[in-house]
Amino acid sequence: MKKFLVILLFSLLVLSVFSAKIPKDTLVIGANTGILITFDPAQCYEVLGAVITSNLYDALGEIVVKEGQFTVVPAVAESWEVKEDGKTWIFHIRKGIKFYNGDPLTAEDVVFSLKRVLKLRKPPVWLFEDVLGLTEDSIEKVDDYTVKLVVSKKLAPNIVLSVLSGSWGGIVNKKEVLKHEKDGDLGNAWLTDHSAGSGPYYLKVWKRNEMVVLEVNKYYWKGEPPIKRVIFKDIPEENTQYLMIQKGDIDIAWNLTAEQALDIKEGKVPGVRLVSIPAQQQEYVAVNVGWGPFKDPRVRMAIKLAIDYEAIIKEVRKGLAIDNFTFLPVGYLGYKPLKVKRDVEKAKKLLVEAGYPDGFEVTILTNTTAIRKAEAVIVQSNLAEIGIKANIQLMQASQMYTKYRQQGHQMIVAGWGVDFPDPAAQAAPFTDYTAHQLAWRNMWYDDFASKLTKMALEEMDPKVRAVIYNILIDYWFENGPFAILYQPMQYWAVREEIKGAEEAFAPYNFNFLIEEFHK
Amino acid sequence: MKLWYFIMKRLFLMVIVLFGILVLVFFITKIIPADPVGALLGGNAPPELVDELKHKLGLDKPLIIQFVDYMKGALKGDFGISLKTNRPVIEDIKEYFPATMELAIFAIIIAVGIGIPLGIFSAVKRNSVVDHFSRIFSILGVSMPVFWTGLLLLLLFYYKLDLLPGSGRLELFIIPPEPKTGLVILDALLEGNWEAFWDGLKHIILPAFVLGYASSASIARMTRASVLDVLRQDYIRTAKAKGLPKRLVIYKHALKNALIPVVTLIGLRFGSLLEGAVLTETIFGWPGLGRYIVNALLVLDYPAIMGGTVFIALIYSLANLVVDITYAVLDPRMRI
Repeated sequence: MKKFLVILLFSLLVLSVFSAKIPKDTLVIGANTGILITFDPAQCYEVLGAVITSNLYDALGEIVVKEGQFTVVPAVAESWEVKEDGKTWIFHIRKGIKFYNGDPLTAEDVVFSLKRVLKLRKPPVWLFEDVLGLTEDSIEKVDDYTVKLVVSKKLAPNIVLSVLSGSWGGIVNKKEVLKHEKDGDLGNAWLTDHSAGSGPYYLKVWKRNEMVVLEVNKYYWKGEPPIKRVIFKDIPEENTQYLMIQKGDIDIAWNLTAEQALDIKEGKVPGVRLVSIPAQQQEYVAVNVGWGPFKDPRVRMAIKLAIDYEAIIKEVRKGLAIDNFTFLPVGYLGYKPLKVKRDVEKAKKLLVEAGYPDGFEVTILTNTTAIRKAEAVIVQSNLAEIGIKANIQLMQASQMYTKYRQQGHQMIVAGWGVDFPDPAAQAAPFTDYTAHQLAWRNMWYDDFASKLTKMALEEMDPKVRAVIYNILIDYWFENGPFAILYQPMQYWAVREEIKGAEEAFAPYNFNFLIEEFHK
Repeated sequence: MKLWYFIMKRLFLMVIVLFGILVLVFFITKIIPADPVGALLGGNAPPELVDELKHKLGLDKPLIIQFVDYMKGALKGDFGISLKTNRPVIEDIKEYFPATMELAIFAIIIAVGIGIPLGIFSAVKRNSVVDHFSRIFSILGVSMPVFWTGLLLLLLFYYKLDLLPGSGRLELFIIPPEPKTGLVILDALLEGNWEAFWDGLKHIILPAFVLGYASSASIARMTRASVLDVLRQDYIRTAKAKGLPKRLVIYKHALKNALIPVVTLIGLRFGSLLEGAVLTETIFGWPGLGRYIVNALLVLDYPAIMGGTVFIALIYSLANLVVDITYAVLDPRMRI
């Protein structure tokens, strides 16, 4: 036995060589890459894939953060103008941009790429069709460096610009893509794991469930970034990521638990710092207005007043969330903080007024993640205090959303990610039932809210738009079926020696500026 | 009965089993009250887009027609296109299976290497310290969850002692061998790429040990019981009475018979290791089949779920077949 142990230890020692240090021009990111589906800009829709894709392609504009606000700045288009009808847009394409293979980028590529999104009809298509009302005929090339685009109705400029500047608006190299077309798929299969863009990087290799490697584009129009190679190493387990960043085997850990994030934030982990930003996401409780007691707005208000928001943020998110009770993320145009305080007595009184002095029984639907379960349990005990007996029903996300889409729930705990950085992206789902999203799923068929939302869409003056959203927030809170629990914080663990992380992550999850990193 | 007749019978039964599984899995994925297209498009997608894609994928056709379409493809070895990865399911399986295979081979070597000697020692030295140790070892192996063992070993050998790497199949900056078999270590060996060979070996030790340990425990227990059983048989007493040395009695006479049931267990264990081990693969970032299938389950990627399940059923049936044949060869009574 002893001999065996000695041999074992000896062979381990022989095997262990000091692990190779990460080169200065290489960035290694540990992340769960199992969720990646494709890097085709016209198809990619999940966040990790989208932020990688946004480094492979340039869109007409680029989403950055300026003075705490998401702003679209010129990228492939060096300038643009809206005609007086508020529908016709002219984009002037920047001269001298080259794809990573050296081909020049022209209006031809822009028109091809935008039409391609409409033709392929993949997940992002509804942004072009439903939000902008684009058709293939409404996109045309004026000359080699000018593109004309007509949206179906008058739209606030920021809506058009922020939708076009998402990862789905990435401009692909028409010639290269068509070379790899198969069965009329417009290169969709090939672009799944290849790239043909002009972004700061190109996709060198994607070994599924192993790694994604990006290499620098030496023709990048803003100049070569300091990091020449980026490796997203697949490390599905948070704990493994956490160990590896402490050892310096990865530069950034993408997935952390709230406890790990808190430890780093409190300085308990030497050599590693926490970078955090408000996530573009709202966590909420919603009630189905078509179901029994919830038809009465007083009952809905009672639920909103019964929930212990502080406890949820503290227990579930370890404090790493913002007490934002509006449907707009902090800092958006028209955002105004809502003061919501828990008031059990008032909630009870409202229930009595509505004719439910002894409460009622309700089922809370949610999915099986630890966070949702914990939230549902707290809400359940909060409701018990005002006499409502809540039962929790857990389902896999896919199953839950099916039921939700069929309006088959009584009450639900869920979340909503922002699709593009404009208040309209949130107002439509949360307030306008005609958008067939959240308000509709909860059967809140409110014409006034719907009208306000549509008014804000068409308002060209940002100041007036902001006022409309202000009014909408108050009205929605008084009458609507939603209690926003919080806006989570998004965080990453970053090694001390990695500079530029704060700038790189600032526009997340619409953009991820890898070019800002340096060592 | 002739051996070949026995094999034919077994093969025929295997086909029936596979068909049954295909039918079962198909209808189960249809009964679940969840919508794969909705899952694919995510929670934000408007209902019109969901309906449109459903139509495109033929999911609005009558169930029986969907089934016939699916069977037609499956018989040709075409399990359809994965909704999630957008590639033929069979391509995906080809990509992930070698990693699982490699891990399973190392795990079973470790399991047998530990399990059988431990089982023999504790049977021969019944109620000794070795026996007690072996029993504790076995109970721990059977009852400790692999993700816990995995994390503990990672913490010790990677984080504290710095002896072994943390995650993946190879170090990032090592040039991987040209994939011929898909088994990185074997490919590196064939190519003479020593750096990748050693590095691959270093990477596989922990996950293979974690997986192998769980199997070694049951192998050790089975070996112990089986050896004890055989040691009580008359022919062993006779052998002892003849004055044969104890070593010879145990290793030559007893073991041969005692190991027959153990062979069965090893075969079945290897079969189940080939299915992929989700938790081990997750902790060690191993790009195997287990994670592929679980990821498919989470988004209800039904072509991948069905293709994956049938593939696993096939592997398992083959492992079973090999075990049965080995048995039939070793023990003619089985052929009856």
